[in-house]
Amino acid sequence: MLICTLVGLLGSLTGLGGASIITPLLVLAGVPVKEAIASAMVAIIATSSGSASSYVKARIANVNIAMFLEMFTITGAIIGATITTVISPVLLYFFFAAFLSTSFLRIRHIRKEFVPSEKQDRVSRWLNLQGSYYDEAHQKTVTYKANHALWGGAGMFIAGIAAGMLGIGAGAFKVTVHENILHLPPKVSSTTSNFIIGMTALAAVSVYLFSGLLNLTLMAPIAAGTTVGAIVGGRLLNRIHDRWLQVLFFAIVIYLIITMLYKGIISL
Amino acid sequence: MKPPQKPDGQSKMENAISYLLIGGVLLCLVLLVAGMVLFWHQQGGVSVSQDQSVFVRGHDFFSFIYDQVTGRGVQSLPLRLITLGVIVLLLTPYVRVILSAVFFTREKNFKYMMITIFVLIILTISLTLH
Repeated sequence: MLICTLVGLLGSLTGLGGASIITPLLVLAGVPVKEAIASAMVAIIATSSGSASSYVKARIANVNIAMFLEMFTITGAIIGATITTVISPVLLYFFFAAFLSTSFLRIRHIRKEFVPSEKQDRVSRWLNLQGSYYDEAHQKTVTYKANHALWGGAGMFIAGIAAGMLGIGAGAFKVTVHENILHLPPKVSSTTSNFIIGMTALAAVSVYLFSGLLNLTLMAPIAAGTTVGAIVGGRLLNRIHDRWLQVLFFAIVIYLIITMLYKGIISL
Repeated sequence: MKPPQKPDGQSKMENAISYLLIGGVLLCLVLLVAGMVLFWHQQGGVSVSQDQSVFVRGHDFFSFIYDQVTGRGVQSLPLRLITLGVIVLLLTPYVRVILSAVFFTREKNFKYMMITIFVLIILTISLTLH
């Protein structure tokens, strides 16, 4: 339960659900892999709801952007879950690893402050995909405009397919789409991802419910621990500098890339 | 310092979503902890069991909730409390989408009303299919 509290904290700060951290730990502890994945999905929902309550209230997570992107990711998730039997997920592991690697294109910006996009495409403007929030760490109001709404939607559609096919939350993928395609500030990217990821995980949990893989004695401590961690993380994020959040994100992304490549290679 | 001001309707919706999410996770936490404490009291420990009675199963999301709420599901009190906690946790993001749809409709924000209703329909279909 203590480890899950830490995972909930990390997940809420970085915008990743935390399933990719919990699952291998549970497997190491002797839990059957499918049960571990099913319980990790419940943990994602706890992380998402526990932290998003603070992020939405502080106006860091952008509800309008989230609703627009959810449209693509949920459609992707349902298609992904449907085509799992037709297409081998092996290619998806490699694609996932390659896409996560694009995060490193922005690594040189870690030391620089976020520069909002001046231009905004027609669709983003029409949907009013913009916002502002007060950053406590930098003690200033950050104003931003999302760009490339449809490309962002396409990215979220693929994230949804990956989530549906691989039974993951694909939080790292979502944060990468938010930052690299939509040009959202780091905190808006991770908090909006957190907001969305609970819904993607809910669709996945439904599958595990049907398969009878949800173990109450396993889910209870995991959900309780991640909920506590996420509530704490939700109150900490705005006081932490973007730079440290990005360093934390990159550390987890490196771990995820290695995991994805490993899974892809052993599945060949 | 206060966050920047937004149009009233949007702020109300964001506050309502925020309260819904925190209310959902706190209620879930109370039910889970109560269930775990009772489980510990009855069993003398809180270890992960592989007994079939601790696995929950449902034909689909909604029928699972219906069975549990009407008492046709898990029978022991500690496991029933844990199941209710998990149900509250699962329902929270779903109710969040319904709440957003209601607010966008009340605000006559038709673009986002359509987007949210689309999300709600797809989500409901995906939860009903499994």
